[in-house]
Amino acid sequence: MALDKERLPREVVAMRVARELPDGGFVNLGIGIPTLVSNFIPDGSVVFYHSESGVLNCGPLAEEDEQDIDLINAGGQFLQMVPGMAFFSTVDGFAMIRGGHVDVTVLGAHQVSATGDLANWMLPERGVGNIGGAMDLAAGARQVIVAMEHTDRQNNAKIVQDCTYPITGKGCVSLIVTDLAVMEPTPEGLVLKEVAPGWTVEEVQELTAAQLLSAPDLKEYEL
Amino acid sequence: MPQKLDELSMARRAASELQPGQLVALGSGLPARVAEVAPPRAPLQLLSDSGALGYRPSTAGLAAVGPSLTGPDGVPVALAEGGSVVGTADWAAMLRGGHVDVAVVQPARVTASGDLIGWTTAATPGLFAPGRTVDLAAGARKVIAMLPHTGSDGSPNILADSSPVADGRACVDIIITDIAVIRVEEGGLVLAEVAPGWSYDDVAALTGASLSCADDLKEIAPSLEALNAEPPGKVYPDAPSAIRDIADGATVMIDGFGGPGGMAHYLLVSLRDQGTRGLTIISNTIGIARSVNFGTPPGKLAIDHSILVDNGQVAKAIASYPVSPSMSNPSSFELAYRRNEVELELVPQGTLAERLRAGGAGIYAFYTPTGVGTLIAEGKESRVIDGKEYILEEGLRADYCLIRGHKADTMGNVVYKGTSRNFNAVMAPSARITIVEVDEVVEPGQLDPELIVTPGIYVDRLVVRPRDFSPYE
Amino acid sequence: MAQGKVYSSAKAALADVQDGSTILVSGFAGYGVAWSLLDALVEVGSKDLTVIYRDGPLPEGTGARLPAINNLVTNGLVTKLISPLPFLPGNGGAIEERWLSGDLQIEILPQGILVERLRAGGAGIGGVFLPTALGTRFEGDKERRAFAQGEAVLELPLKADYALIRVAAADTLGNSIYDGSGRNWAPIMAMAARVTIAETGRIVEPGELDPEAIISPGIFVNRIVAAE
Repeated sequence: MALDKERLPREVVAMRVARELPDGGFVNLGIGIPTLVSNFIPDGSVVFYHSESGVLNCGPLAEEDEQDIDLINAGGQFLQMVPGMAFFSTVDGFAMIRGGHVDVTVLGAHQVSATGDLANWMLPERGVGNIGGAMDLAAGARQVIVAMEHTDRQNNAKIVQDCTYPITGKGCVSLIVTDLAVMEPTPEGLVLKEVAPGWTVEEVQELTAAQLLSAPDLKEYEL
Repeated sequence: MPQKLDELSMARRAASELQPGQLVALGSGLPARVAEVAPPRAPLQLLSDSGALGYRPSTAGLAAVGPSLTGPDGVPVALAEGGSVVGTADWAAMLRGGHVDVAVVQPARVTASGDLIGWTTAATPGLFAPGRTVDLAAGARKVIAMLPHTGSDGSPNILADSSPVADGRACVDIIITDIAVIRVEEGGLVLAEVAPGWSYDDVAALTGASLSCADDLKEIAPSLEALNAEPPGKVYPDAPSAIRDIADGATVMIDGFGGPGGMAHYLLVSLRDQGTRGLTIISNTIGIARSVNFGTPPGKLAIDHSILVDNGQVAKAIASYPVSPSMSNPSSFELAYRRNEVELELVPQGTLAERLRAGGAGIYAFYTPTGVGTLIAEGKESRVIDGKEYILEEGLRADYCLIRGHKADTMGNVVYKGTSRNFNAVMAPSARITIVEVDEVVEPGQLDPELIVTPGIYVDRLVVRPRDFSPYE
Repeated sequence: MAQGKVYSSAKAALADVQDGSTILVSGFAGYGVAWSLLDALVEVGSKDLTVIYRDGPLPEGTGARLPAINNLVTNGLVTKLISPLPFLPGNGGAIEERWLSGDLQIEILPQGILVERLRAGGAGIGGVFLPTALGTRFEGDKERRAFAQGEAVLELPLKADYALIRVAAADTLGNSIYDGSGRNWAPIMAMAARVTIAETGRIVEPGELDPEAIISPGIFVNRIVAAE
């Protein structure tokens, strides 16, 4: 039974996403698995991080005894001061996003549809949610990658034919990386490109509420 | 014919229209000369599209000489103490946003209805292109037109009819020429002053529009003494006195990206203590620091918008991140929302920032791609421009804005610290009254003019946060 | 490792400028003009350029100096100018001659509208409703609409292929600061171009510039060239 099989750890998902980031590019990371991506940038390449909190070229998190309330990332974590940082206002920070200056954003999601709709700001049962910078990133970043667990904790599919949750952006997701697979939403449907080791296409399909189209060069999860 | 006024006399007459404390944008030509006659130490902020805010001629002998600064004419100038450097977009925003009290322009022609024609043909050398003129004419609260009364061929520069081409419609309030001062009023042009030796009839004969004569027609004899009066200071003794006039039902912008950085805690606590009710709060979050912790010491609670919500003062929030990220640890606002005690207008963060900028910069509305196809787009115009879909969002303004700065000078110029700049710098121009809480107030000239993020023209009141004031309680 | 942002020469930084490109040129009355890049662009010789700039000539009596883009025009590289202040009549040199002979198109618009259109282009805004052009010759047949504050006119975004700017100092990541009136149009032009090339007399290592002082963060500056 597929449900019991071991899935890839979050770190491996982050490692897989890190391969997608352009060398020298500007990247905005969301909260959760996306945050981990910065730990796995391949040797010899460099990525510059943009944060909606108003800072470019963010580096590592601050040690507990060096926390400064005036130096945070968008997730509210305290940052270390690193050479090459630049501070700016929120309006400039979002001009960077909407203006197409941010190459990639990596976001988590509640649901992603086969055509790349993203839902990540509100759980319907809560009735209220936080949009924060998510809609601007979905609409503005050149490339939107979703990094998440393939299903929720109750094994409900998060990859669906059509989102039932309120969406953040329409057709904006270009790649979905989960603990089971790598998929690409296309106008023709959801293309399965890579599968986690030990998993079959059928098993992944079982946990996916959208029809998967196997890519001609379908392969094992590549790190 | 009696003698006409020279350029500096005209400039002096124009300068006498100004009030202490005003922000005055100068165009090139005759208007640029106003800088030469303005008393060097008068509390008058001159603005040039060269990026000089608060300047004087480099010959004025001011301490803070700009590094490489020019006036509107390309002539080097110096910054007065408390001056700062701005970009062209900032200059345009100050004008369009209604922050400029007076603009002085030199049009080629002015009509009886106050229309302004910046340039006509190659017959008006030096004024061929609109450059800055249209922006000055459209944006400033009061527009002074300076120009020779007649062209070099003797033909009048003040005309009766509205021209089909204009660079500003019904914008000129007062005309200062080399022979007269003429007010543009509802009923037409009124001659208020004449150059020494000139009569009403002399001036009317050279004017291409009907001209009535003021009952108290005077000779032009400007005095600039009044310009040296100090305007009321911006530094308030404490937070309660700075927020005292915030009344029930006011709309108040309060920054705070999320954590305790960048939040005007001292003002916030005073607003709670004052008990003002029915507030609409515009902010990124509406109090999540208590839920998220953000390094709060054990046994303490972070001061955030929750203190107003808990006190029943908030009627509505306009925010992008209104509730705690964790459903199991709800904020005061979320609980009040569930009890139907507060309204919420949810706005994407970038749209919120852009709406605030628009409000302060005189942009009535704009198209953004953010939120297309989502709940945010409901009820809004959607439009495809150049193959991409956008929704229309309008500018946002408020009655008051509570800002957290790092340092300010007594003229209200503010610098921020790190990521605490965020929404603070965006909100400052968008409120009728902007109140800033800083760690330290210094004298004008002590902040690097290149580093000033919020120029004093956007700041009305300053409060020093007590040194031992804690962001936790 | 990605190609660094520092280029060996102005010409190398401009080598990929194609014919028909749209170029933003910063500058106000000679302040903040990227003279080395403009000279090198003449050498590169890309044609049919659309150039957007303010700079403007100095008025009489303040020193004769030709507009920053004069050489580009004299060499016949420019097809169209978009500017609030293209030249002074009777003193416009090659720009005026070519305009009068019909070899150069000029679109004139108020500078506050131009700068906001460029900002919209750089900030991903699809259009802005501004009151500035209302009732003036610059309203034309643009859409007019009523809002709570009054009527306004729709102005559409402008973007460009390249921006040539002058900065006072840049670190190798592209973070840049300006000097006085040299700031003018550069920060907005840097946002609005696909490729922004900055020339500067001072290239420093990351960390040498105060992060609070940076006006154009490196995300807006793609190439850096050392210049006098």
